[in-house]
Amino acid sequence: MSTTLTNIHSRTTLPASLIVAATEIGGAILLGAFLLAESTPLVVALLAVMGALFAAMQYRPQIEEVIVAAFHDARGLATALAVAIVLIYPFFLGGNTYALHLLIVSLLYSVLALALNFQLGSANIPNFATGATYGIGAYTSALLAIHLGWSFWATLPAAAIVATVFGFLLGIPSMRTRDSYLALVTIAFGIVIHQMLNNLSWTGGPNGLVGIPAPSLLGHSFMRPIELFGFRLPSQANFYYLSAALLGLAILSAKRLHESRVGLAWNAIRADELAAKCQGINVVWYKILAFGVDAFLAAFAGTIYAFYISYISPDNFTFLVSVTIMTMVIVGGMDNTLGVILGAFLLTMLPEKLRVFSDYRLLFVSVVVILFLILRPKGLFPQRQRHYGGQR
Amino acid sequence: MESLILQHLLNWLVLGSIYALVALGFSLLFGLLNVIHFSHGDVSMIAPFVALGSLQAIFGITGGAMGVLPILAALAIAILVTGLIGIGADKLVISRFRRSPAMMALVATVALGTVIRELIRGFYPQGSNPKAFPAIAQGFLEIGPLRLPAQPVLIVGTTVLVVALMYGLMQKTPIGTRIRAVAEDAATARLMGITPSRIFAFTFFLASAAGALGALFFASHAGVVRFDFGVQLGLIGFSAAVIGGLGSMTGAILGALAIAGIESIVQANIADGASYRLVFAFLLVILMLCLRPSGLLGKPVFEKV
Repeated sequence: MSTTLTNIHSRTTLPASLIVAATEIGGAILLGAFLLAESTPLVVALLAVMGALFAAMQYRPQIEEVIVAAFHDARGLATALAVAIVLIYPFFLGGNTYALHLLIVSLLYSVLALALNFQLGSANIPNFATGATYGIGAYTSALLAIHLGWSFWATLPAAAIVATVFGFLLGIPSMRTRDSYLALVTIAFGIVIHQMLNNLSWTGGPNGLVGIPAPSLLGHSFMRPIELFGFRLPSQANFYYLSAALLGLAILSAKRLHESRVGLAWNAIRADELAAKCQGINVVWYKILAFGVDAFLAAFAGTIYAFYISYISPDNFTFLVSVTIMTMVIVGGMDNTLGVILGAFLLTMLPEKLRVFSDYRLLFVSVVVILFLILRPKGLFPQRQRHYGGQR
Repeated sequence: MESLILQHLLNWLVLGSIYALVALGFSLLFGLLNVIHFSHGDVSMIAPFVALGSLQAIFGITGGAMGVLPILAALAIAILVTGLIGIGADKLVISRFRRSPAMMALVATVALGTVIRELIRGFYPQGSNPKAFPAIAQGFLEIGPLRLPAQPVLIVGTTVLVVALMYGLMQKTPIGTRIRAVAEDAATARLMGITPSRIFAFTFFLASAAGALGALFFASHAGVVRFDFGVQLGLIGFSAAVIGGLGSMTGAILGALAIAGIESIVQANIADGASYRLVFAFLLVILMLCLRPSGLLGKPVFEKV
């Protein structure tokens, strides 16, 4: 009752568009400051600010409610502003290629985390093989480009199809196994793929594949810097826009799937598999579909990664990579798109920004993950109730 | 020819023993808490480092020949310390996820595993380099016409003894009865005057000590130990426990022997087999789970409505 009152109250005091604009611009500035922060005290101070924001949300859940309501009321503005911010963002980084690189990797990991979220978040299927499907995508496109001279744009769908086939194959054991047993099947699949990549001669063995040609679009090579209106963006900006477009696609498909019967079926399976079966939901098909969708999106991310770095090796796709992606989903908040993306950004940037701890940063990040799980067990942004019929 | 077969057989049993000791921990803890302690391999892998450290600190031995007594003492210290660290891991991290969904505990223990690995890497002297680990026993044993290397025989023999003791403990002693009671139903066990928290602590000690023994055998069998060996050992131990049927001790041992078996066969018969042994081991895991979804000896799950 009290939350409803504050809701109504705050809705009348501040216009939704203002809240939306403030949140998005504030978030962008915070992210930019974090990306460009060089000195340790500044990084720590920014982390403290973020910590304070989440502490505020922990003790005053209404804040989150108000923001969510505002975003619902001013959806058009929110989307337009977000797209605008993403488009002009590289101009504010002042040609800092390292910051752009971090952004690209964060964007790709966000896509991977969203891909996994279809399974782990929506349908509660543990999958420890996202790193492997990511790798299958990367290797497929790299091999096609190196040996057959395919262009980036042709390898993109090809890699997605190959990875999806593997995804469906991996989904087949899920017809019979569940929980820990299914988790082990996916772990085993991931290790088999990693070991094969490591040992086969045509995948380059432990040395991986080198010399993946840079993509080009309408005659513009992605190796070259972007020059626009007298501004000059480093060549990484090409891949920044590409990854941002992919994340946009991933968010859109996540939203559309969540609102469709497929998403509803996945949520039903998560809530109670047996009850879902009794409702006439084809549980087996929807589970396998979740594996397919995960692999499809992961392969896109893998392809962009391969062409961006132009070098891939089995070490990019280990079991621990899959675990990292899973950690991003759980720390961010299962089945919450924004939370998952935030988790991916945080867990990608934190180790990079904590280089002062040099040897101990992985230790520090793991401790932070454990603390997060204990203190905010539902993730940074918890899963939200479904709403029907025009309400938010 | 005969000696070659014998060698492969012995290799299989040694690997099987090591995996079984680790798998038993997974099985015990899953049976009791329904939790997958993913850092079990990493906790176990602390033991070789404790052993090396105590050899240096207490006996001043850094390599070369050493007496039986220092080795035994170092092994005992390592097992004890690792068991206590197991209890600590539960108290600090795992116990906080008793009521959470299984996935949370799983991710938390994976992160805990990283913490342990990084602690060893960062704080053990030159922790990122591989460390030579001494053989527990040297020389050969003459049994009738057979001439067997002493260390494998010692490893297999000790494992058989330890496993027998653990069966005895679980089935014949009051503490074993209590463990089984808590595994069955913690709330009812509490009504019978059993303190579940103590049982949890004891089981964590037991599981970690068994894993420690496995890791010590692993290190001295390989002759070397590195901070990240626990990942693979843990994954194989977990796989063994799962294909045997989580929660079943006999299943864990059978699973360990199956995985060790396929590794030995691949290594012996396929060119380049050493690099493909993990591929075959984990293909076996997938196949087994497709055929028997709840493991060899696991109870099939009947869903209640």
